Amino acid sequence: MTKPLLPAPAIQPYGDAAVLLSYDVKGYSSAANDAVLALAAHFKSQSGWTDIVSGYDSVMATFDPSVMRLGAAVNRFQLAANDVQSLPHAPQEIIDIPVHYGGENGPDMGTIMASAGLSDKAVIDAHASMTYRVCMMGFVPGFAFLSPPPKPLHHPRHETPRLSVPKGSVGIAGWQTGIYGLSSPGGWQIIGRTEIDIFDARRSPPFYMKAGDSLRFVPVKP
Amino acid sequence: MIEVLQSGTSTTIQDAGRIGQRGRGIPASGAADKLNFALANYMVGNSWDVPVLECTLGGLHLRIHEDTIMAIAGAEMWAQVNGQNVKNFTAFPVLKGDILTLSFARTGVRAYIAIAGGFRAQPMMGSVSTYSLAGLGGIDGRALRIGDKLSAQTARKPAIVKIPKGYTPYLSTHVILRALPGPEFSALSADSRRHLFISPFFATPQTDRMGSRLRGDKIVMAKPYSMTSSPLLPGTLQAPPDGQPILAMVDGHCTGGYARALQVIRADLWLMGQIGPETQISFRRCMEHEAAQTLHYRNAFYGRLMPGFKF
Repeated sequence: MTKPLLPAPAIQPYGDAAVLLSYDVKGYSSAANDAVLALAAHFKSQSGWTDIVSGYDSVMATFDPSVMRLGAAVNRFQLAANDVQSLPHAPQEIIDIPVHYGGENGPDMGTIMASAGLSDKAVIDAHASMTYRVCMMGFVPGFAFLSPPPKPLHHPRHETPRLSVPKGSVGIAGWQTGIYGLSSPGGWQIIGRTEIDIFDARRSPPFYMKAGDSLRFVPVKP
Repeated sequence: MIEVLQSGTSTTIQDAGRIGQRGRGIPASGAADKLNFALANYMVGNSWDVPVLECTLGGLHLRIHEDTIMAIAGAEMWAQVNGQNVKNFTAFPVLKGDILTLSFARTGVRAYIAIAGGFRAQPMMGSVSTYSLAGLGGIDGRALRIGDKLSAQTARKPAIVKIPKGYTPYLSTHVILRALPGPEFSALSADSRRHLFISPFFATPQTDRMGSRLRGDKIVMAKPYSMTSSPLLPGTLQAPPDGQPILAMVDGHCTGGYARALQVIRADLWLMGQIGPETQISFRRCMEHEAAQTLHYRNAFYGRLMPGFKF
């Protein structure tokens, strides 16, 4: 198997105190996500960056402009991007997440069953059949954005977001699946819920997983 | 000890923020207006970065249970001690039994109340800053409530320190933010690219520490645009499909899925802390070298007053 080819990334200043690198890929690209995670790990090993945030196909680092000039920061990104193939992959763990699918834990199970044309058991089997990659963490603490579920399960977000989605909810949005680490407003199609606290500030470490980890959903027998 | 008699619209404990956690989805939080936060500390002899109270829109009443020194910087809220006016930007002694009241914000929206030694709170991930969405910092991770009891760290050298002439920031109901084009600026329609820098915007009531929805000319993309969730910073003006831009603030999301139209320069981020409902906002196009020079000059200017302070 050959590695899927990646287009050259775009590297640009993001304001006067950050640099952004992004791959122009349509939809999900595991190659792009591999690259941005490797770059994020590489920048973490360097000094001079104050925050490093990776997305599905982009990575950003902030710096203190009184310590590093914007031009120098852009150059460091360029150098790292040139060498991205040789950067080591970040260490990863495989994490099992028990999930209560359907019923009151998964109010949108019916929507996904209808659009996929599958029984609830088939939806659960499909969703739990894969090993996912934790592609990014955020937008709020503990929200885990994962690699795509099997295609029949893809479904758009609710047009009007719910005012509150319970903590631990497992949902689908377009080609993404993910876990709400905190109760928050949200528009994802919710098919289940886990009792694991993805984020608990009083626990050490506070996060149950990090970007780059592998994750499996394990259905809990009712 | 200090007792909260009225907690006001929203008052939180803030310091210089939780730096370095954005990659895990935790915004820095911290004082929304970093300059006025630092000056409040300066006036009572504190290091610039110790915890203060950030009072939004006013209405905070405190009963003081021990003699100490306090100071207020930022929004003008007609503060009084026992019914006698006290001025912003001038530290004042308070005695056991005194009552400090802040009225409604007249200019600006956030006032910073510093106490000699700094307010005490439980640090989480290196900061006591309150981030209420995740329940971090402050008092149980939330805004102050009536009946809360606050305490101060022992002050090393409590003092009434005067702010030298020229260092007191001027607050206005019209906030002008210098900005650089954001990562998706070029995908905006030609009209929108122009309107961003010539039209006035107004902050709607949907304005808080996370962000501010603006009212004004619609900011739209040249053609339908879909974006994967990508990194987002405070000071980014996002353009969602409905055309009503959103300005991300100190507690703003770490990633977002809307086009990033503009980025406010580092030297002007503190001004966003004084944006409240109906504040008029204008964006002024800036060049990279102007952003760098302004920041260099401002850091040097305020760093002379407060060692280690940076915008």
